[in-house]
Amino acid sequence: MKMKDNPRITSVSAGLIAALAFLLVCTAVGGAEEAGFQKVTGPCALAFPEDHGAHRGFRTEWWYYTGNVHSDAGEPFGFQLTFFRTALRPGTAEEGDALRSAWKSSQLFIAHAAVTDVNRKIHLSAETAAREALELAGVRAGNETVTVYTRAWKACIGPQDHRLAVESERFSLNLSLTPQKPPVLHGNGGYSRKGSSPERASCYYSFSRLAAGGKIRVGDRTWNVAGTAWMDHEFSTAPLEPGLAGWDWFSLQLSDRTELMVFFLRKADGEIHAASAGTFVDPSGETIGLTRRQLAVEVLDRWKSPDSNAVYPVRWRLSTSGPDLALRIRARIDNQEMDTRQTTGVVYWEGSVTAEGTASGRPVSGTGYVEMTGYGQPFDAPM
Amino acid sequence: MRLFFRLFICFNLRHAVRHRWRVLIVVAGIALGAAVFTSVRLAIHASVQSFASSMNRIAGAADAVLTKPGGLVPETLMAPILRHPALSSAAPVSTAYVTSRFRPDEPFLLVGVDPVMETAFRPWGVEAPSSSRGLWLQLMAEPRAMIAADKLADLLGAGTGEDVELIHLNRHAPFRIAGIMKGGGTSLIDGGRVAVTDISSFQEFTGRLGGIDRIDLRLRSGSDPTALAAILPPGVQIDKPTAARDSGLQMLQAYRLNLSILSFVSLFVGMFLVYSLVALHGASRRRELAILRSLGGSKRLLFFLFLAEGAFFGLAGWLAAFPVGTMMVQYLLEGINETISTLFVRVHVDRLALDPWEIVLSFAVTMAVSLLGALLPAREAMKVAPKEVLSVETPLRQRKKTAHLAFGGVAAVFFALFIARISGSVPGYAAAFLLFAGLSLLSPWILDRMGAALPSGLSRIGGEPARLAARYLRDSGIRAAVSVAALTTAVALFCALAVMVHSFRHTVEAWVHQSVSGDLFLRPKMAEFNRYRDPIPPKTLKTLQKLNAPVDFLPYHRIFLDYGGVPYQFDTIDFQAFSKYGSFLWVAGDPASVYPALERGEGVLVSEVFANRTGLGPGDRYRAQIRARVLDRPILGVVRDYRTRGGVVFYSFAHFAKQFDATAVNGMRIFFQDRGPELEPAVEELRGRILKISEGALEVTAGRQLRWIILEIFDQTFAVTFVLLVISLIVAGLGIASTLAVLVLERRRQFNTILAVGASPGQVRSVIFWEGLLMTLAGEATGILGGFLLSYLLIFVINRQSFGWTFLYRVDWTSLAVSLPLILAAALLTSLPAVRLVLSEPPAMLLRER
Repeated sequence: MKMKDNPRITSVSAGLIAALAFLLVCTAVGGAEEAGFQKVTGPCALAFPEDHGAHRGFRTEWWYYTGNVHSDAGEPFGFQLTFFRTALRPGTAEEGDALRSAWKSSQLFIAHAAVTDVNRKIHLSAETAAREALELAGVRAGNETVTVYTRAWKACIGPQDHRLAVESERFSLNLSLTPQKPPVLHGNGGYSRKGSSPERASCYYSFSRLAAGGKIRVGDRTWNVAGTAWMDHEFSTAPLEPGLAGWDWFSLQLSDRTELMVFFLRKADGEIHAASAGTFVDPSGETIGLTRRQLAVEVLDRWKSPDSNAVYPVRWRLSTSGPDLALRIRARIDNQEMDTRQTTGVVYWEGSVTAEGTASGRPVSGTGYVEMTGYGQPFDAPM
Repeated sequence: MRLFFRLFICFNLRHAVRHRWRVLIVVAGIALGAAVFTSVRLAIHASVQSFASSMNRIAGAADAVLTKPGGLVPETLMAPILRHPALSSAAPVSTAYVTSRFRPDEPFLLVGVDPVMETAFRPWGVEAPSSSRGLWLQLMAEPRAMIAADKLADLLGAGTGEDVELIHLNRHAPFRIAGIMKGGGTSLIDGGRVAVTDISSFQEFTGRLGGIDRIDLRLRSGSDPTALAAILPPGVQIDKPTAARDSGLQMLQAYRLNLSILSFVSLFVGMFLVYSLVALHGASRRRELAILRSLGGSKRLLFFLFLAEGAFFGLAGWLAAFPVGTMMVQYLLEGINETISTLFVRVHVDRLALDPWEIVLSFAVTMAVSLLGALLPAREAMKVAPKEVLSVETPLRQRKKTAHLAFGGVAAVFFALFIARISGSVPGYAAAFLLFAGLSLLSPWILDRMGAALPSGLSRIGGEPARLAARYLRDSGIRAAVSVAALTTAVALFCALAVMVHSFRHTVEAWVHQSVSGDLFLRPKMAEFNRYRDPIPPKTLKTLQKLNAPVDFLPYHRIFLDYGGVPYQFDTIDFQAFSKYGSFLWVAGDPASVYPALERGEGVLVSEVFANRTGLGPGDRYRAQIRARVLDRPILGVVRDYRTRGGVVFYSFAHFAKQFDATAVNGMRIFFQDRGPELEPAVEELRGRILKISEGALEVTAGRQLRWIILEIFDQTFAVTFVLLVISLIVAGLGIASTLAVLVLERRRQFNTILAVGASPGQVRSVIFWEGLLMTLAGEATGILGGFLLSYLLIFVINRQSFGWTFLYRVDWTSLAVSLPLILAAALLTSLPAVRLVLSEPPAMLLRER
């Protein structure tokens, strides 16, 4: 689960993103002003392709892609690309007068990308950000295609496929992702509870299995790659419930063409919040909602970051009941920590994982992504 | 080495202590020179550094910038720029000087940025409490929020969370101080008079919509900024991030060099003092030197002992310069700061940083000057033979050398005139110093000739004392000549500067009255600070045009441009209207044929500064990218212009408006048709009406007032120059006093013998007086001659090379007629201590010494 206060969403420019992170933290701890924004309180009535676009009435929104691919020679890579939108103030209509600056905007976009080169144990990340003005960033819709972009990075969500383009100094992504299943609506028709009260929720859907193909460049080398990918799109206004320390989010694509998404909301005392939940997607795309009671997770191994000293789980035993899954999950490389203390002060872990185990007694394997927050120092973002 | 130091202490220092007063005079002279040199350098260095670091802080970490000469960079360029693979980042920047309602007298720099892009470029040092971490996003989230430098917040008397009403032209808007910048760095831009706001708030407040001043770029490693050229619209160019700074520094460079050289003159004159005293010590102690030699002291030992004496004077003077310099630097800093701000670029120096390099330089130059001063006497000391220990009298001076020196002097003067023709700012100053050196070398010969030619004539005027004085001077050799050379230097400088300043003022006055014509001058508020980027608001302009007054309007459009690194102003005016009420001071071109062509837009007129700086003149073509188009016209004439912010190119207002679709007016002159006796009240009445109409958007200055201000600024600018000049005259005066004292001390036995054989004390005093008079006259006469030569160099070589302009040569005979006798009188006064000295001991005592 990628809540609106997700610290993964860091940015390019130190002061700015630190500031953004701060705003997000404010949101997370319930201190921010929500007045004037739309709220998610019930069914989301999602319709596509319209709802691939922006929902500017809500405070935060993100489009999130992860995937595990391999080169022609079988070299494994993980990738991640997220576009994050935040409204700095409610209302899209600006106070109009003849002297309106084209720079005036309340919408800020931040994009974050990462590549994991598993064989070489390299994890690279990059960020970028811009306001929604003068075509620096934003969401465009037309010809049944929605394009989410920030500067030169973009995700084009078309009727046939999703095209991702990321260009940074150290790596680049040029991928085409073809949905293998229809969109998965999490929770109740996309209405996904994230807390004790009805308004602590988001509208949340995923493409749980996309066939990925294209090119990945790391440094000076470029590989043709193929594999599978996952896409999330979520928007909300409500802040995260007070008392939560962080969360662990899993998205797994299994060899039996099923997928699993689960998130555990971790309280400060180590307990798992009752609103933690998940979704199981069967090979035909049918979904089964999973509640906290149907989920169990056990940490098998941990890794201490030499940079932040944060200790993260890197091996887990995850099981669900109805469907019956028993999986051992492990990070493909331990160090997939996003350490942005020099810029934003935010430290978290987001990385490619593999899974092995059984599904209803039959052996399965798979790949996926895990995101963990709140393991380092308190989520704080100094300027 | 230890033996050397012991000998130095016993032989030189003890002697110096015995004759402490003359040593103190020399040390005081050196101290004064070193203090002036160091303080001027420190003050100007501080101003230049303040400007450069302000510009660097604004330039930030950019590798290149996009600008549009004479216009705004289209903001729609941001998106393609940000997506260009050669770039890692880009950020928009716009700046404007604005004021606040609370402190309308304190303009400050408002910087419009995109906080999202900004931090890759400039570390705006905000010290904010943890609750203010979203500060930067607040700029974007909240219209009219700004982060102010702590110094500015203090000036405005406002703190975080408080509103400040900002004013730009006729726009007033409340800005909330969202946070305070602290801790140096960017908070020190413009001396801390800086605030930053979101680019959208900036645009809406200043009305500069649709464009930005510049886009800062950061390149990916190995990328070439010229790769961007393909996506740039016409008129947008790629510059170095330091272009604005370099352009400002270029304007300051000449002023900086000028002041440095002037300040060095005092130290240079001090060199003569060192020479004079070391030479005296050498001459008066020949017998002791001979004893040292006969006891085994080598020639080298004597050489280094006297060189060390010079170094000692230099060191003592340099150390004594500190307290003097500390007082002086504050005064100079204020003056130089004000001059630079008025004439060149806006600077604010609040603190004087002690630059180690300047301290080292000051030490090195002082020591070098002192060592140079001691060099010749030290060489002279080497020549003392051990046999002189048996000699009773000092050997005869080598008069024959004066012809060689004179020949060297004449050669130096000719060489000076030759190298003055070489282009560049250094040859001009080098020529000036060669001229000084040449005149100094001529001094012994002049004294020699005076001694040979004058005695008979003088004896008729001043009797025997005058004749004796002339003879003594002839025989005094180099020592008296050195003092004369010091005075020559100071007088030459005084005379040359008097001529130059008078010529300059005369020409500027003519320029002001002919070219800066007009009864009222209108321009947007702070147009000069904001480089005329804001036009007169169209609403105000319309109202102005409907004014029911018997006046003619001369609107103009001014754009700040750059021609191959030479900053200049591109002025469009209505030549016909201008020629009705004013005229240019022509350097080249025939006004009768040029004016009609200018009115038809068939060519441009350039200022002398522009012509000299770019090498372009009549017959050449002026080609410039202005906004999205290129203007290509022949240069039809060259005129004088004394604006200090670069050269000027004049072009037809109407044709420019038509060709460049530029109807905006950013300045206007108003001429009254009726020039009768009621002109002044009518001007004042109209001025009041316009001020009311403009609602604070315009600066409205009466022409008479403006012309007075220009001349006032001119006079203030030369205030520092004259202070430096007076100091060099004082040092030269000390030189005369010291030399006369030396001459008297050297000949006390002689004088007392004269007294003993019947001369009256009055006659002896008269001899000293005549010596002083003759030395001063020789110094002044040579100085005046050198002064005229130097004034030519200053006006037609150094000013042309340094600032690009020349003046109409005018000699201020009145000032010279008043000041030269005053200098003579002052110099004669310096002979009084020597006159007193000669009779301070009874003759019998002195005669008994031998």
